[in-house]
Amino acid sequence: MRRRLPLGVLIVVFAVLPAVLTALGQGYLFRLAELTMIFVILATSLNLLTGTAGLVSLGHAAFYAIGAYTAGIVSLRFHTGLEVSLPASALVTGLIALIVAIPAVRLVRIFFTVATLSVGEIINVVITNWDGLTRGPMGLRGIPPARVFGFDLGGRLGTFYVIATVCSAATWIVWRLTHSYYGGALRALREDDQSAGAMGIDVGRLKVGACAVSGALAGVAGCLLAHSTGFISPDMFGIDESILILTMVVVGGLGSVPGAVLGAAVLILVPEIGREAGHFRMVFVGLVLYLAILLRPTGVLQEAVSLRFARETKAVATGDQRSPALR
Amino acid sequence: MDWILLQDVVNGLSAGLCYALLAIGFTLIFGVLSAVNFAHGEVYMLGAFAGLMIALALSPPLIVVVLVVGAIGALLGVGLERIAFRPLRRSRDEAALKSRALREATLLSSLAVGIVVRELAEIAFGGDMQPIPDRLMINDPIPWGEIVFARGDFIIFGAACVMLIALQIFLHRTRVGLGIRAVSNDLIGALYSGVDADRVIVWTFAVGSSFGAMAGLLVGLYYGTIFPYMGFAPTLKAFVAMLMGGLTNIPGAVACAILIGLAESLSVEVLSSRWVGIVPYVLLLVALLFFPNGLFGRRVDRA
Repeated sequence: MRRRLPLGVLIVVFAVLPAVLTALGQGYLFRLAELTMIFVILATSLNLLTGTAGLVSLGHAAFYAIGAYTAGIVSLRFHTGLEVSLPASALVTGLIALIVAIPAVRLVRIFFTVATLSVGEIINVVITNWDGLTRGPMGLRGIPPARVFGFDLGGRLGTFYVIATVCSAATWIVWRLTHSYYGGALRALREDDQSAGAMGIDVGRLKVGACAVSGALAGVAGCLLAHSTGFISPDMFGIDESILILTMVVVGGLGSVPGAVLGAAVLILVPEIGREAGHFRMVFVGLVLYLAILLRPTGVLQEAVSLRFARETKAVATGDQRSPALR
Repeated sequence: MDWILLQDVVNGLSAGLCYALLAIGFTLIFGVLSAVNFAHGEVYMLGAFAGLMIALALSPPLIVVVLVVGAIGALLGVGLERIAFRPLRRSRDEAALKSRALREATLLSSLAVGIVVRELAEIAFGGDMQPIPDRLMINDPIPWGEIVFARGDFIIFGAACVMLIALQIFLHRTRVGLGIRAVSNDLIGALYSGVDADRVIVWTFAVGSSFGAMAGLLVGLYYGTIFPYMGFAPTLKAFVAMLMGGLTNIPGAVACAILIGLAESLSVEVLSSRWVGIVPYVLLLVALLFFPNGLFGRRVDRA
């Protein structure tokens, strides 16, 4: 039963959801589904850093921005498709995250958090003011829709499938990373980095690696955003977005991949129900964050659920080498 | 010697003193709880709004408005402690009081409370700067040779000096102040000597937030900038000041806040005004990476 769940999710995402959305025929709902999937990538990638490795980041939106701008600039200047801009976004963002992380991971706890906050602000100021490259506060307009090796995937369904594919792949990557020896090592250093170091875990390298992977995935999300909306501007990637992504992770459950997916869906879709009262969106985010910390600090689908599920599905490397009959 | 440079120094000093008033609250709270109060900027913002409304409705003398705002700030601080900090301090266990989990939880809960307050303020008052009548502004120029002071420079300088002296008297001459110093120095030791930690924490929030609210009002009337987002950047600068000063060192934090104000106003000469916003963040990173114990901090345990 449990082993069929991932398959079920894939069927829903790739067959049922597009069919229903096409039947309803509203572009707005497609847009919403795409945005949700983009934020699923952001939330799961931040979950690797904040939930599994325990490094609370308030600057995730900056990496999202770098990915979006890389994709926008590459595709506008060189007229290339997704096959170039997606790896470019991941690579550039991952590299910048790596460079930022090397000094930052020396900081512990809240100091890391405040450092990420200021890195996020610095990146935002640079994007806003580097007119020659980013056109400043005006933003980049007319970014072409997704195109892969000359095939136009810019239509409603095409964009949906591109985002769904990348989102599934990214979630799968984070899932595998979280429930592997690597993830176990990250959890060990989250609990106590000194004792993890004493047991032979290279704490610094693992933290830098987690930052880079998480940043690269955020860059991928940014690339998808750039190609699906066609327009990006610096105010789309402010501190509020970072807080939103962090709230998704906290609500879903720190360290829990299904939790991050759920958190992203809830925090994107629920405010849309009352979208006439658009002003209350951040109030809602703040209230949800507050109540989550107060009432359910481990999250809705806490890490233990995710770990148990991983162990039972045995689709991932947990070190259990028993034969299937004994499981 | 350039008169413009001297003018920048004057501007920097008054900006720095404002950051210092905010940094004091931060430093006090960090000293007692080892927690960052991310809602401090919202107290600063609410203080400015409350002061503006009082001044518009009753037009009492400035000193009365400032004192009333101080009282409101103290109440806000107590309320904030109730909402965002106390509910998470479930355990009376000494180790839990300064634990990592508690610190991260209060960081997020104060951030959440801050967002809600700021967004509600934006819904209530709108996101734009509040119109402030000229009679309330405290930036009327007082020329002195080639430089121009503003009346606000003297008011802010005087207010900051009075508050700093009052704080030193409070910390060193009263019983509650003794409690704050004791908890800040060694929580477990203070608890064993019979200090009521909860009461000390409430007092700390009251004093720190009252300073923050008064700073918000003075800055708002000086620059004419009272709007819901006004708290964000000064809070970060106050945090930098706390960090550079050595986390729990109040005079150090004040000195560093003035340094930040000077750095900002002098950087206007070198950088275009669009890039000045980056200065405090860069300072923060430099402080975090190269002076993890602060410019004049003593060595502290890993936080």
